[in-house]
Amino acid sequence: MKKRAWFPRAVAGGATLALGLTLTACGGDGASAGGDSGTIHVLVYGDSANKVEKAIVAEFNKTSKVKAVLDTVPGADYQQKLQTVINTKQAPDVFFNWGGGSIQPFVKAGLLLPLDDFIKKDPGLKDNFLSSVFNTAVVDGKSYGVPMRGTQPVLMFNNKKVLADAGVQPPQTWDELIDAVKKLKAKGVTPIALGGGDQWPTLMWFEYLYDRVAGPELFTKALGGDKSAWESEDSKKALGMLKELIDAGAFGTNFDSVKFTDGGSPQLLASGKAGFELMGSWEYSTQQDASPDFAKNDLGYTNFPTVTGGKGDAANVVGNTNNFYSVLKKTEHPEAVADFLKLMYSDDFVKQQLAIGNLPTTTNTTKFLDSADNPDYLKYQFDLVQKAPSFQLSWDQAYPPSGITPIHQAVQQFFNGQVDADGFIKAMQALPTS
Amino acid sequence: MVSLTASVTGKRQTQRPAGRTIGRPGLAWALPATIFFALFAVVPLVLVAVLSFTTWSGLGSPEYAGFDTWVRVFQDPVMIKSLWLSVLLTVLGVVVQTPLSILLGVWAAGPQRNRAVLSAVFFVPLLLSATAVSVLWRALLDPNFGVPSQARWLFGDGNLFGTQTAAIGVLVFVSTWQFTPFHALIYQGATRAIPQVLYQAAQIDGAGTVRQFFHITLPQLRNSIITSMILMIVGGLTTFDTVLILTQGGPGTDTTISAYYMYDKAFKGFDFGAGAAVALMLVVVATVISLIVVRVSGYDKMAGTKEGL
Repeated sequence: MKKRAWFPRAVAGGATLALGLTLTACGGDGASAGGDSGTIHVLVYGDSANKVEKAIVAEFNKTSKVKAVLDTVPGADYQQKLQTVINTKQAPDVFFNWGGGSIQPFVKAGLLLPLDDFIKKDPGLKDNFLSSVFNTAVVDGKSYGVPMRGTQPVLMFNNKKVLADAGVQPPQTWDELIDAVKKLKAKGVTPIALGGGDQWPTLMWFEYLYDRVAGPELFTKALGGDKSAWESEDSKKALGMLKELIDAGAFGTNFDSVKFTDGGSPQLLASGKAGFELMGSWEYSTQQDASPDFAKNDLGYTNFPTVTGGKGDAANVVGNTNNFYSVLKKTEHPEAVADFLKLMYSDDFVKQQLAIGNLPTTTNTTKFLDSADNPDYLKYQFDLVQKAPSFQLSWDQAYPPSGITPIHQAVQQFFNGQVDADGFIKAMQALPTS
Repeated sequence: MVSLTASVTGKRQTQRPAGRTIGRPGLAWALPATIFFALFAVVPLVLVAVLSFTTWSGLGSPEYAGFDTWVRVFQDPVMIKSLWLSVLLTVLGVVVQTPLSILLGVWAAGPQRNRAVLSAVFFVPLLLSATAVSVLWRALLDPNFGVPSQARWLFGDGNLFGTQTAAIGVLVFVSTWQFTPFHALIYQGATRAIPQVLYQAAQIDGAGTVRQFFHITLPQLRNSIITSMILMIVGGLTTFDTVLILTQGGPGTDTTISAYYMYDKAFKGFDFGAGAAVALMLVVVATVISLIVVRVSGYDKMAGTKEGL
């Protein structure tokens, strides 16, 4: 009897739970409210930079009738979340992205608004940004994004003290780099720190060398679907030079067991066990956090060496050009969105980004560099990006998402000798280009 | 509901000999579990099966593609490699962990007080999440700042994540480090349940410790060995977090096991159709292997180990 008495209660409890789950699900749908009039939703990658975005949205809401709402999604889940909501009623009006391949599928699916009309009305939406950066979000000749955070060029960092001990100058040319590698090796130092376990740091070497040897056109051609670009003489030459560098012991033998993300390769550089590291501009803040004294006194930086006889301009850079705001075609308040985007080149925006260590890519940025924490480093970076005839977006971000893993596997296998130049070329030719 | 339960139990009681159903709950008792199982296991499984016949990038709605997705998945050499790697890792896990955990479990089942303390310490890895364990070992095995830098005679240049052999070795080692205590726990319990009279009889017959182990303990642990092995096999085939953190499937594709391959296809490459196909295949493989183990071992007959007692 006792048993049966609480059986219905269990069932009732289960039913309530099930009902509750359904209700919660409904509530979630209703709350996102993409459709109610008078608001635009701005979806951004959730991290520490959000405080600037919050402030900008608040500023916008002070004067605008249409109110902006900022939605943040934690970093690791951002792309998945975006991909799942973008074609639904819950899609935002404006969203954060990396330009290039990251928005290409959305453009193809006809979801994004070309910004050409906005730019016609307010040319500042284009002219107030560095063109090498702005062009990253141009797909099929149309602009689909406005830069909205800081730029991240890849630089050749060095440990000044280690270089001085080995009698090495920061190399200007590839031959000088090879020479520096030999001298550092003779001193018992790993010449170049490489976080090969993360794979993307390895990719940076390909991006720069291809640019220097063949110019940016080779990659543009390959990305456009012309697979023969990978078999060209220039491509083979770049791979041959990389192979030479690896075989010279430039990266040591255990680079695939080292990571950047857990602080391994930055520590190699900071502790003097390595002379160089090729890394995005965030290396500076990484070192500032982990080894403040080193960052202050001994961290040197230069552009990637030139290659004698190479077709690429010595001033070209590679890396993450910036992040962008793109606009959904079905937004109900295009005028409000256009007004919102104008704030991305305002003085206030630049000041706030600099305050958190981001380097905005607007033409007015230079005005405020002196008041920043590390003006020399920021100015160097800004000049580099401003003068760059070409700013190549990281290959793994330029290709559609399904190409990321094959690219990472191919660069790792080439570096550790599992595939040769032909194998690498085949792997790159097999990449999806659309 | 109350009446239903009553009628069901009533019916049973009239149909079967009273002795077998006394204390046996009615079918309705299984209802909550059945509903939950259906909702959170069967329905998703069916959805995954449907998804595996489509192409879907997460944008828009899935498009029916028939067997194309499956053909595409099976034409990928990495797919076949990932299956072999999954099986290899699982087999290595079973081969390494089973003898270790039996020895440790039997040892920990002893009566002395210091063993209780030691075995408590020994079970610590089990309490940590696999993610924490992986992060910990990744740091400990750093070639320049971890253990390998201090023990060059053993690790050489410390390139433990840069070659296939070493990377697989690390994966096996880390999962052994974490899960041996769990399996030892199973054997500890089972060993304690072995009737002491068996050992007493063996002693009278003059059998030593080793003989006792092989002729009493091991046969008595048969069912526990099978339970533990099934858990290892299913766990091995679905290993994911350790690979994600320790090797990311690298170097190249050398540790891309099926579960990681599935994640890579579905969530990094936004090819959910292919991911679903791999997932479904893993379910089938794991089920088949488990069934084979159960059949071959005679576990399904539920034969006791205490015949003759």
